Amino acid sequence: MAFVLTHLVPGDPAVANLGDRASADPVAVRIYREHFGLDKPLPVQYFVYLGNLLHGDLGESEQSQRPVNTDLAEYIPATAELAITSIVLACLLGITLGVIAALNRNRLSDQIIRVVSLGGMSTPQFWLALVALYVFFYKLSWVPGSGRLDAIVLPPPHLTGLFTIDSLAAGQFDVFANSIQHLILPACVLAAFNMGLFTRFTRSAVLEVLENDYVRTARAKGLPELTVVFRHILRAASPPILTVVGLAFGNVMTGTVLVENIFSWPGIGQYSYRSATALDLPAIVGVMLFVAIVYILVNMVVDILYGVIDPRVQLA
Amino acid sequence: MSVGAAVSNPLASAWRLIPGAWRQPLTVVGGVLAVSWLLIALLAPLISPYDPLAQGAALYQAPSAAHLMGTDELGRDVFSRVLWGARISIPLAMLLVALAFTIGGTLGGLAGYLGGWVDELVMRAADFVFAVPTILLAMAVVAALGPGLFHAVLAVVLVSWPGHARVVRGLVRTTMESEYVAVGRLLGSPTHRALTVDVLPNIAGPVIVLAALEIGNAILLLSALSFLGLGARPPAAEWGSMVSTGAEHFEAWWMGDFPGLAIVSVVLAFNLLGDSLRDAFDPKAIIKARGA
Repeated sequence: MAFVLTHLVPGDPAVANLGDRASADPVAVRIYREHFGLDKPLPVQYFVYLGNLLHGDLGESEQSQRPVNTDLAEYIPATAELAITSIVLACLLGITLGVIAALNRNRLSDQIIRVVSLGGMSTPQFWLALVALYVFFYKLSWVPGSGRLDAIVLPPPHLTGLFTIDSLAAGQFDVFANSIQHLILPACVLAAFNMGLFTRFTRSAVLEVLENDYVRTARAKGLPELTVVFRHILRAASPPILTVVGLAFGNVMTGTVLVENIFSWPGIGQYSYRSATALDLPAIVGVMLFVAIVYILVNMVVDILYGVIDPRVQLA
Repeated sequence: MSVGAAVSNPLASAWRLIPGAWRQPLTVVGGVLAVSWLLIALLAPLISPYDPLAQGAALYQAPSAAHLMGTDELGRDVFSRVLWGARISIPLAMLLVALAFTIGGTLGGLAGYLGGWVDELVMRAADFVFAVPTILLAMAVVAALGPGLFHAVLAVVLVSWPGHARVVRGLVRTTMESEYVAVGRLLGSPTHRALTVDVLPNIAGPVIVLAALEIGNAILLLSALSFLGLGARPPAAEWGSMVSTGAEHFEAWWMGDFPGLAIVSVVLAFNLLGDSLRDAFDPKAIIKARGA
């Protein structure tokens, strides 16, 4: 973690240099710069930032005029709910399709799955989001439009910030249903790319395992096909699949920026778009740090899971 | 099988000369799509029925025989604009991948060959870029430089070179273990000669395949930046910004849907090609070198 912190923050002065917009009148610019400590030399800024960081202080957002911590705390749960739902969806679909494709290698179903998975990876998410909104909201009215809840529905009492879990915990089933309705479309759109990715990797991982003698032995023993698939094949094929799922937490962020903007989803995707276009440095660095930490934590969990799945892997 | 059949049917024997990976039906589909789009990009001025910027026609016309994909909010022909859009996205994506590959490949090659602190430096820089979400870094760069297609290309180059660097580094290190490179070094050949003569030809194949795969991703990211208003500026006929305009005119679905379909078909074509080519080369080496 310390590694990433030290390597991430040097990016801050560099970006700051690029973003010097002295457009307003000089006095305002001077006051503004003093307020955010931008008048001090870069190394000083850097160490002030690092010092604050050690106390868990990410600085003040230049745009919202609030501490970045407060902003992040407000927006992260929304994105977490969306991103996790989409990755779970992508895993379920992607791994299932990948196994089916591998077991039917080069048959028609494999070819169809190949088109579907590569199609998922080839479709621009911003366009898919618009088409989905047009069809399911505008034409069919199956789902409500943008946002996390209907305007007349009050958010559930704050517990985790995930509306689905909070509403269930509070026993508000109508709120739960409403939040699920709002969640399902953006989550599906977001899942399309990773579904394709997971399918490709599952297919190649399973194909590799299928060549092993113990798979043939298991089949020869007359074990039911499902047992062979789950006990013998999927377990052996899971490390590379897990790796990709871990890495997907990184690219899901790209999707959330686009999808959140289209669905007016109040998460860090929208927040980072606003911050980046306004060159709000403390906010940008805050989001970057947060995403990097999540990324590292997820990949640590993946490493630990390796050990659980494969007893040969020793955790040093 | 039989020589007679091949002789009697020259077309079939020519077909068999094509390597197996190229004869998969889906590869053929991808190839045909990619070639068509390249031709469209080349010939757009000749084949598009209208000027992509001309505002002559009635506004918001649904697709018809006169306007195959309808007209937009300024009365421009969407079909012509989609064709012209190929002239922006495809060459820029190729330029972008070439730039990212030159930078990443050179750095990765040096890191893999020299090792030591050069390797450390290059790979830590690559790790830094990897840890930051692609679009966030690209957005910040474009916002700092000012919106524009060229800046968007620079931003995407900046976030995509580490991928190339990692692959080339991994491949160089594998190649370095072979005896002919060691022999070359023992004979006293200088670094640049060892890299260009001994190593480069041996890693060229898989690296080119990966570059082809990257073109699809480059088109996706570039159009995403344009969609967010950070890439192409109006009135340019760029697919991402056309989808963005289409989003503001929900009822006129043809304004956004056709440019979107254009992106899907181009990217899918390159992905189909890259996917089959990756199977044709040693797939494990690439996957390992990619670290994913």
